[in-house]
Amino acid sequence: MFYFEKRKQTPLKLKIAIPIVSLLIGFIVGSIAILITGTNPLMVYKELFLNAFGSWYAFSETLVAATPLILISAGLIIVFKMSVWNIGAFGQYIMGAIFSSYFAIFLDPSIPKPLMLSIMIVASLIGGALWALIPTLLKIFWEVNEVITTLLLNYVALYILKFLMYGPWKNPTSYGFPLSKTFPDSAQLPVLFSGYRLTIAFIFALLTVAIVWFLLKKTRFGYEVRVIGDNPTAARYAGINVNKDIIIAMAISGGLAGLAGMSQVSGIIHFLQVKINADYGYTSIIVAWISYLEPFLMLLASILFGGLSSGGYSIQISMRVSYGIVGLIESIVLFSLVGAQIFLNYRIRWKKHES
Amino acid sequence: MSHDIVIPLLSNAIKAGTILLLPTIGEIFSERAGILNLGVEGMMLIGAFFGFIVAKLTNNPYYGIIAGMAAGGIASLIHAFVCITLKGNQIVSGLALTIFGAGFTTFYGQKWINMNLSNPLKGFAIPVLEKIPVIGPILFMQDLIVYLSYILTIALWIILYKTTIGLNLRAVGENAKAANSMGISVSKTRYFWTFFGGLMAGAGGAYLTVAYAPFWLDSITAGRGWIAVALVIFAMWDPIKAVIGSYLFGSINALQFQLQASGTSIPSAILNMLPYLVTFIVIVISSIIVKTKHIRPPKELGIPYFREEK
Repeated sequence: MFYFEKRKQTPLKLKIAIPIVSLLIGFIVGSIAILITGTNPLMVYKELFLNAFGSWYAFSETLVAATPLILISAGLIIVFKMSVWNIGAFGQYIMGAIFSSYFAIFLDPSIPKPLMLSIMIVASLIGGALWALIPTLLKIFWEVNEVITTLLLNYVALYILKFLMYGPWKNPTSYGFPLSKTFPDSAQLPVLFSGYRLTIAFIFALLTVAIVWFLLKKTRFGYEVRVIGDNPTAARYAGINVNKDIIIAMAISGGLAGLAGMSQVSGIIHFLQVKINADYGYTSIIVAWISYLEPFLMLLASILFGGLSSGGYSIQISMRVSYGIVGLIESIVLFSLVGAQIFLNYRIRWKKHES
Repeated sequence: MSHDIVIPLLSNAIKAGTILLLPTIGEIFSERAGILNLGVEGMMLIGAFFGFIVAKLTNNPYYGIIAGMAAGGIASLIHAFVCITLKGNQIVSGLALTIFGAGFTTFYGQKWINMNLSNPLKGFAIPVLEKIPVIGPILFMQDLIVYLSYILTIALWIILYKTTIGLNLRAVGENAKAANSMGISVSKTRYFWTFFGGLMAGAGGAYLTVAYAPFWLDSITAGRGWIAVALVIFAMWDPIKAVIGSYLFGSINALQFQLQASGTSIPSAILNMLPYLVTFIVIVISSIIVKTKHIRPPKELGIPYFREEK
């Protein structure tokens, strides 16, 4: 029989090894899944890697996919640190996209670009934050479980988007396709290098990482977040306004998810449609978790999973390997990570069974 | 409304409700043992997928149901291993299970998309009972799975409240340490009921693709797993109340379908949103009731149990 003995200290080697081994397990299980379909997994992984990091263009596409992951995970880090479970980034992302698209579609397109983009950014922050605040207030006032409410609101947001796309916001000249009209130039985020799709949103994302790092490590709010995460009851006794901190954290988290949605429609797609890659909302949970909720590790993890995502889309087209493989690998990585957390705080001891 | 509209509507509501009832009951028992499994959506998808394929290949819907149950059960064991043996975070592991189910079925499901079952699960009337006016045609002209679900719900209610098995199960979820000192194996109990939850989620998924909508589509469960998780709170961890909740949502589904078929002017996106929006509202209301009535979830729900820890 084995049993668990509490560690006094977590060895750094283990902290480094666990995410790496989890990733390896994810890819090994993924290769078994690919093998079953009769395809060579090594070929798939080679293509995946080349399409994610093999050229400057591939790498820029990886950063394009990483941008929303960075923005969303930056917010999730704060709420997860408080043990508040925001599983609603999917819906908050959609609401951010919808709020900002409103101005891109209906505002006079001739207003100056900086003004238009500023309005859209603020709108997306507000849209995402509002969508996150509904479950937060319900949690605070009536102890309504936020895991379930944030999740259900994902579906509500998705159907609001569908309603708009098939109805009032549909472009009459789109031949029946559920798309909005194309955003005017003033509502499109500028690209960083011509010929590439990477936009200024990537710079915002980097700034966000720095801000979140500063917020968590250098401010009173960050200190309170850590105390609440360790023990909310003790935090209350210590005079910390836990509810206020939860509201602020969720507003930041929802707002950043909303901004991620804006960066997608304004920077990449240039119109609103039903498919706006909202599943970044779920991938971000894995990104936040694999990086031990540390902002700079999160940046690294976002680029890695961004590569998995952009490479995954490429192999879907070039090798006809379903994009489902990405979810499969991601989930195995997540399982391994959650399972392996125990080795951070406990060591396994063996003892002979006495009976 | 006349009978010829209401009776088919409610009969359909029972079918749609059964898709939710099975996973909801499974989750109730898993949570009663202290294991929160947010992977219901993923397990349902896996059950729906294997149910569909096996029913298609064998041309026998019953084999499909059994295969779907088995697949859901096996999937739940990943969660059980991570949460019970390795004491992992149950919320994250459950989410991983849902992502896994979606990824797995998308990956392998491509070539089955839009295929139909030529032999879906068919119903049969129960003699005598079918003759009861109104209720007969609604409740007793269904298929085997619906009939089994009636029996199962009652049996589980009895097990939960009137037997030692149920007593042990509740003890494990309420106070694992005390249960352990009474000689109950916390791990074994949790493994068993998590597995049971997986079987039920798989059955619900398989019922969806083998009886209710006999074809395969990507993400065909469309969030029903999350509604089932929410219904557990509505049911206040009681199998009988789960029936009420499930059939209520079955009615919304059936009504939504009926309205869509009748060519209503309400946009379909709004109709499709209804189940989630109503679940949301219902969860808020039942959470308030749960709070004011001092009903609470099993005390050790979501908390890993370390036997050696003093």
